[in-house]
Amino acid sequence: MALLEAKGLTKSFYGVTVLHGVDLAIEPGEVLGLVGENGSGKSTSMNILGGVLQPDGGSMTLGGVPYAPRDPRDASRAGISFIHQELNLFPNLTVEENLYLDGFPFRFPFLPFIDRRRIRQRTKALLAEVDLPASPATPVSSLSPGERQMVEIAKALSGQARLIIFDEPTTSLTSREIERLFALISKLRARRIGMIYISHILHDVLRLCDHVLVLRDGALVGSDRAANMTPERMVTLMVGRTMEQMFPPRFEKPSATPPVLELRSVSQPGVVKNISLVVHRSEVVGVAGLLGSGRTELARIIFGLAPRQTGTILVEGRELARSPREVMQAGVAFLTEDRRLEGTLGSASIAHNLALPAVESYAGTGTGVLDSARLHAAVSGMARSVQLKASDIERQPINALSGGNQQKVVLGKWLMRSPKVLILDEPTRGIDVGAKYEIYRIINDLAAQGAAILVISSEIEELIGLSDRILVMCHGEFSAEFNKATFDPEEILRAAMKKPVHSSP
Amino acid sequence: MKKGVKAHGILVALRLLPYAVFVVVLVTFASLSSRFLQVQNFLNILVQAAPVAIAGIGMTFVLLTGGIDLSVGAVMYLSACILGVFFKSVAWPVGLLLMMACGSVWGALNAVFITRLRVVPFIVTLATLFIARGAALYLSNTKMIFLPKEVTGLNRLYWFGIPFAIWTLAVVLAVAWVILRETPFGRQIYAVGADPVAAEKAGLKVGRILFLVYCISGACAGMGGFVSITQVGAVSPSFALEREFAVIAAAVLGGTSLFGGRGGVGGTIFGAILIQTVNNGLVIINANPYIYPLVTAAIIFLAVLVDSLRERILKRLQARQIRVEEGGDARLASAPARLP
Amino acid sequence: MPTLQQKPVSARVRNAPPGGMALLKRTLFSEYFTLVLCVTYFVVMLPFSPALGTPTVIKNIFSEMIPLLAVAIGQTFILILGEIDLSVTSTIALASVFGASIMTSNGGYLANQPAAVPVGLMAFLLVGLGVGFLNGASITYLGMPSFLVTLTTRMLFSGIAIWYTTFHTRLSSISGLPQSFLWIGQGEWNGIPYSMAGVALLAVVAHLAMTRTVFGRWLYAIGINRQTARVSGVPVERVVILAFMISGFCAALCSILYTGRLQTGTPILGERILLDVIGAVVIGGTSLFGGKGKVSWTVFGVLFLVLVDTTLRLLGSSLFTIFMVKGVVILMASVMDALRNRLFAER
Repeated sequence: MALLEAKGLTKSFYGVTVLHGVDLAIEPGEVLGLVGENGSGKSTSMNILGGVLQPDGGSMTLGGVPYAPRDPRDASRAGISFIHQELNLFPNLTVEENLYLDGFPFRFPFLPFIDRRRIRQRTKALLAEVDLPASPATPVSSLSPGERQMVEIAKALSGQARLIIFDEPTTSLTSREIERLFALISKLRARRIGMIYISHILHDVLRLCDHVLVLRDGALVGSDRAANMTPERMVTLMVGRTMEQMFPPRFEKPSATPPVLELRSVSQPGVVKNISLVVHRSEVVGVAGLLGSGRTELARIIFGLAPRQTGTILVEGRELARSPREVMQAGVAFLTEDRRLEGTLGSASIAHNLALPAVESYAGTGTGVLDSARLHAAVSGMARSVQLKASDIERQPINALSGGNQQKVVLGKWLMRSPKVLILDEPTRGIDVGAKYEIYRIINDLAAQGAAILVISSEIEELIGLSDRILVMCHGEFSAEFNKATFDPEEILRAAMKKPVHSSP
Repeated sequence: MKKGVKAHGILVALRLLPYAVFVVVLVTFASLSSRFLQVQNFLNILVQAAPVAIAGIGMTFVLLTGGIDLSVGAVMYLSACILGVFFKSVAWPVGLLLMMACGSVWGALNAVFITRLRVVPFIVTLATLFIARGAALYLSNTKMIFLPKEVTGLNRLYWFGIPFAIWTLAVVLAVAWVILRETPFGRQIYAVGADPVAAEKAGLKVGRILFLVYCISGACAGMGGFVSITQVGAVSPSFALEREFAVIAAAVLGGTSLFGGRGGVGGTIFGAILIQTVNNGLVIINANPYIYPLVTAAIIFLAVLVDSLRERILKRLQARQIRVEEGGDARLASAPARLP
Repeated sequence: MPTLQQKPVSARVRNAPPGGMALLKRTLFSEYFTLVLCVTYFVVMLPFSPALGTPTVIKNIFSEMIPLLAVAIGQTFILILGEIDLSVTSTIALASVFGASIMTSNGGYLANQPAAVPVGLMAFLLVGLGVGFLNGASITYLGMPSFLVTLTTRMLFSGIAIWYTTFHTRLSSISGLPQSFLWIGQGEWNGIPYSMAGVALLAVVAHLAMTRTVFGRWLYAIGINRQTARVSGVPVERVVILAFMISGFCAALCSILYTGRLQTGTPILGERILLDVIGAVVIGGTSLFGGKGKVSWTVFGVLFLVLVDTTLRLLGSSLFTIFMVKGVVILMASVMDALRNRLFAER
């Protein structure tokens, strides 16, 4: 009998259906892989299993009994543990306290005193089970991300978990920690614990899982034994279209004129080391790299959001200042990785968002009084040119738009300044395929108009489709450079995963 | 990595700064007046610090959750008025419990607005501060209230040579310490302060924890008010006026963060003693009474400044940890191994 | 300060009948909610205190509104940023005694000199700008929470004001102010007080600054999302400091008007209006969470508080009743603000 069975799960947010009847089943001791692009419904369906969200329709059974958790606590009592991407541990508490936070055993019956001896012994046993050689009284703040993950798993085991959901568990782990995690997953499988493994790293999914489900746009588009799956097939199912369709053609050739953006041996200890690069007019340079390789930090250093110790950054031969405002005035624009936190003014109108970086150029000198007519004309022109789908840009808050349209607004607000240099950090994260294509088109148009563009992305296919050159970052340094003729996804990946030449201090 | 070490050094220095200030204060007053260094004077300081320390222990619970309670001074006054107007003839233990009950009811009122209606704590407690003071002025008819000898005489009550105020403080401190360290509720307070959203996700009853915390603060304020009455003898309309400042400062000087999740009740006692020492010293050296509020304001400013700087540095250190420095082997997210 | 974030979807509110819900939303989100509230309050209270309808009382209400409006407009800038300025009351007091100490004929620094009034007025405004700068700099450069910074400076400057007074007089306030100064607060032109014209001008300028200038755009942007604003090139520190200086400036204007009316520089001037200022701005609809607010809302909010104040006094309520009622008004206003914020998040 199946450990967990879900039938026809549906869920909508604000009238938008994000899950159209998803079915899944998992046996004890089975590892089920779940893959799909961002926004395909993976997290929503797992949040339903973990009790974070309630489904609008459909049913679930756990061990043959109807299962409808009202909150995460309900789910964990029923034996389902959800290990989130960002870990839910409290750094100001110890390991043992984190493990028993919502159910400390008492030392005396009816008196709410924590039985320290008991939780220490139990924690010790659990930590041994996950092979973590730390004392139960260690504060979590002093553990590494990998060690914290082990603590999360230990916590799941302490709650007698029958099913553990892993959401992108390897993103912040070292390769040694990843091997330990995989060994642990095999061990749990032997204990007949069911697991759901969500990851973008398809090789890991194939290696670990017995069965793979592929989601696209909130629906199940593929379900097969892992033995019958290949990365190619998964990608085809996930994306639903081929490479040629995904990227608009480029016509402009980068010019050989003096560089627009130039970095000369930029270093910041522990972050980036000796970075030199040039970007020319009409050139798109891609930066590939692992999470934590220093690619985002490099962009933030250029834009003045992070400090640098040594090195020079030049735009059209003039040295850049170190505050975002001055960098911007030199003609640099920066689309950040986290749209909600750093890209949009959530409750403000689309027009307010679009105008923000360029607003000073629509004001009378000295007074700061805005020329509303000119500003409105410019903003609506920009909304049209990025093909924004919105009803009323002056009134509609940006929050009310889809992710793709929000990203167009964020891109548009930088285009309002007609930047000479545009830095894009994960420009298509969390947006649907159609909107992606339009974002690519805007980037190409901008390059055609002569901008120098630096794109950072964790999707290698995206970099290959967009860039004229690709630089690969590894441990804060550039480890390889590829020209359009030599683009090869596997080579790029290999360069990004190089072992460090000299051990870091 | 050198930078990290330096940041840790600054953190330690900021943590120790209030203690350094305490030493400077002691040395300064000792050199200005010979009366300051007498044992009896230190005992006086301790006794006089007790009301603020007791209320500060309650405040520590609130601050640990990341909240604040500005109504404690007003609660001291209101509960004292209720005792003095309606229950003049009760035995003192009953009076003490009564004032604590009044305080916790007021705390519950604060908590309803904070947890159920989601209004920010400082606005709620600022408003209830005025409401409580208004209600107390109404009850007392803006007149002095005199309490029976039974209560005011407690000031001269000694058990085993230790005055009543110190006993009370010791009991409250012990209970609070055990609650924070050794009960699930105590540990959950720290979790809520670190991250209320994560605490909710972890299945903690955040609303209930916050509710209790404000009740505790109110009860401690009531108790602090009671101890204060035994010392001043009568309740004037300016009783405990703006005492909330000293109470908050005591907790923060003791190392409890205004940003939640960090600190403990032990430090609060130190903070209260530091504040009382300064006040006591100013009296002994016959300082101009007009500078008292300035000195108090300066101490609070210092406390808030030190805490804000610590929080800033800790945040920066955390941000560095999120990046995988040594773990560069983490892999490309969402990289299909081979493309069609 | 970590506060509980809203749950993404509150089932309770969503399941409410659509009609009632829509009505509640429409009322709460209405531009003129506070004006409607004022009219309703007026109509309801009229039978209890008929004097409320007399021309004298109505004129008095407007006259009471003027200084309060000045300081409330300054506070609106601060609330839009998502900060708060509790130090305005002691700014009013300190400006009052400092300005008076220059102008007074009883031994003022410029007693009986022609420059006394202009310099005195400058002194008022300088105090306001100075306190504002100090608040703003502590908040931006030292990273301290604004409500604690301004609570502390409130205590500090109130202490300084009282102390400062003792250098100039044995009494509790500084009298003997020149006639031409009093004339600012009391003079009229065709029945329109100069003070009213002045504050109306302030309101218009503030409104234009919020809606039609770069500074206004930056103000709202910071209030909605500080980090986005910073990344988009908004000079956050400069804007925050400037806003606090505006708040101090407005408090100083208020101080000039109150001082002119009382005819003395008083170190406890404005001590009681803290709740009125915050209450007026919040009940007007400007959010404590930042990013939302208007001068016109503040005008209605001030009207409401002065109405409440006036009726309470007409009904013969004591000072402490007024305290309690205003405390309740603030509580209700902030509950509505929180409710609006939640409903907005769900739209």
